Amino acid sequence: MMRGLRHPDVLWLFLLAAVMLALPLVVTSRFAIDIFIRVLLFAFIGIAWNLMGGYAKQLSLGHAAYFGLGAYTSTILQIRFGISPWIGMVAGGGVAMLASLPIGALCFRLRGPYFAIATIATAQVLMLLFLKFRDFAWGAEGTTIPNLGNAPLMMQFDAKAAYYYIALGLLAIGLAITWRIERSWVGYYLVAIGEDEDAAEAIGVNALRIKRDIYMVSAFLTALAGTFYVQYIYFIDPATAFSFNISVEAALVSIVGGIGTLWGPVIGTVLLEATSALLQSWLGSSLGGVQLTVYSLILIAVILWRPTGLIGVLTEAYGRIVHADSARASEAAIDG
Amino acid sequence: MLATLAQAVVNGLLIGGIYALVSIGVTLIFGVVKIVNFAQGEFVMIGMYISFFLATRYGIYPLLSLAVSMPVLFLIGVGLQHFLIRRVLGLGDMPQIFLTFALSLLLMNLALLLFTANYRTVQTPYSDSALYLGPLYIPIAKLIAFVLAMALSGALWVFLRSTDMGKAMRAAAQKPEVAMLMGINTNRVFCVAVGVSLALAGAAGSLLMPFYPASPMAGQIFVLMAFVAVVLGTLGNVKGALIASLMMGVAESLGIQFVGADSGLIVVFLMLLLTLAFRPSGLAGGAAR
Repeated sequence: MMRGLRHPDVLWLFLLAAVMLALPLVVTSRFAIDIFIRVLLFAFIGIAWNLMGGYAKQLSLGHAAYFGLGAYTSTILQIRFGISPWIGMVAGGGVAMLASLPIGALCFRLRGPYFAIATIATAQVLMLLFLKFRDFAWGAEGTTIPNLGNAPLMMQFDAKAAYYYIALGLLAIGLAITWRIERSWVGYYLVAIGEDEDAAEAIGVNALRIKRDIYMVSAFLTALAGTFYVQYIYFIDPATAFSFNISVEAALVSIVGGIGTLWGPVIGTVLLEATSALLQSWLGSSLGGVQLTVYSLILIAVILWRPTGLIGVLTEAYGRIVHADSARASEAAIDG
Repeated sequence: MLATLAQAVVNGLLIGGIYALVSIGVTLIFGVVKIVNFAQGEFVMIGMYISFFLATRYGIYPLLSLAVSMPVLFLIGVGLQHFLIRRVLGLGDMPQIFLTFALSLLLMNLALLLFTANYRTVQTPYSDSALYLGPLYIPIAKLIAFVLAMALSGALWVFLRSTDMGKAMRAAAQKPEVAMLMGINTNRVFCVAVGVSLALAGAAGSLLMPFYPASPMAGQIFVLMAFVAVVLGTLGNVKGALIASLMMGVAESLGIQFVGADSGLIVVFLMLLLTLAFRPSGLAGGAAR
């Protein structure tokens, strides 16, 4: 697992993990923990999106479809059949994987913008269908998820910190999967497809199969996030579960942070959610539209000036420092 | 039953005319500049607000405000091409998709900030009047909107066929490099194409105002319809987009009439997905990139 990691990387990773694990012990404000959970969750969704959208450049704007399917599967299993959301979560992932097959078969016929539009349409169709499913999925009203008190086996906890650790675990899983894929042949194939699909096929990459497979992984992970989210907010309805904002934010955090990079979605989410939390504390939650106005301005700025995202900016700055250091070192060597 | 069917078809055709204005704009930008404008619906919304404020502040009829909304949106379009779109051309899918997508989010949420989420309507003397043709009920406001929408589409057709700028536009659409070699200033042509597209969207907004409430999200449905129509009618094909838009209007209306009031959109999306499944190159044929 750790093969290919250099020593300083491992060190930083352990340090980061230690900080993240200790965070809820130090910070006890419920407001802060809530923000941390949002950051972890959206970073995780961004990572799931990034596998498809970042590496293979299949720019989906319909990941809410899988988020919603995950959320509904676990909720229906829990309320109708008393099955624990822990099992429901994996089942939801399975449903999402299955759903991604026909959706992918349709959408992968199209490229670029029309792929994006087709994915929007699939997510919208699912939302409209769930509005109609009044009998077993509660229709437009949605339902609250019965509060069982502190029931860890049913993914319900008194302590907010528990949710924090689940979200952290999801994020770690997402990062580990991306890390593995990035360094395997699949990762290289994905990047090749993202660069030029026709050229990739010409040299023997089975683009359709690779896209289908990575779409399944991406759908599975997104569905896990859906289950977690409705368990966390104790409520589900089609507008929440299939919210277009989920699809948008999944893409947004990845692009702002650095599309097609391991840490991009994480960095993007930290920036966007921090901005959003600041805005909220300055303006109060009353001003609808401020958050997305700011998000879209950031997105436009990134596209026009830094298409590699924040991670590109950071790498550049880091490179400049290292470069300056080594330049100084070589100057010193010449002087000496 | 037959009368209900006929009525549904008429309703669909009337709103389909508006969809056509938006779709033709989307397909024109796609054909000439080769990008998909995700923000087209928001320019319809801006057209609606222009007409709304002209009507409520200065008492100008929405139809007369076409003379304001179209030029204003033309200029916005020229600026959009020159300052934003031009910078992402040739940069691949991500910047091209997400630039206009971000613009759509921005305009929607700015409208929400400035104008709140309230639905705004304008009452005109003809808002409530209607023609009765046998069993058919035809609201005057929608009829006027439809006729003007068709007239504008026709005007665009003539413009593309017979003016130098129109010919330059079609040339730049087919082979931008060759067009450039023939002395066509492609950026200028692109500016006019985006300007004209946005002017059509603005016209759609003004035409809608007498019978359709303005709100920050009002443009969404129109851009979705336009995307479906543009895929159905073959990307970049103006006539295809027009015919497909009318079909979409009818399909939506039939869905509302016979499946349920909230089913119009499902029918439309299913049409899109079925088209993708069976005729990904659109009904008119040709290559879907």
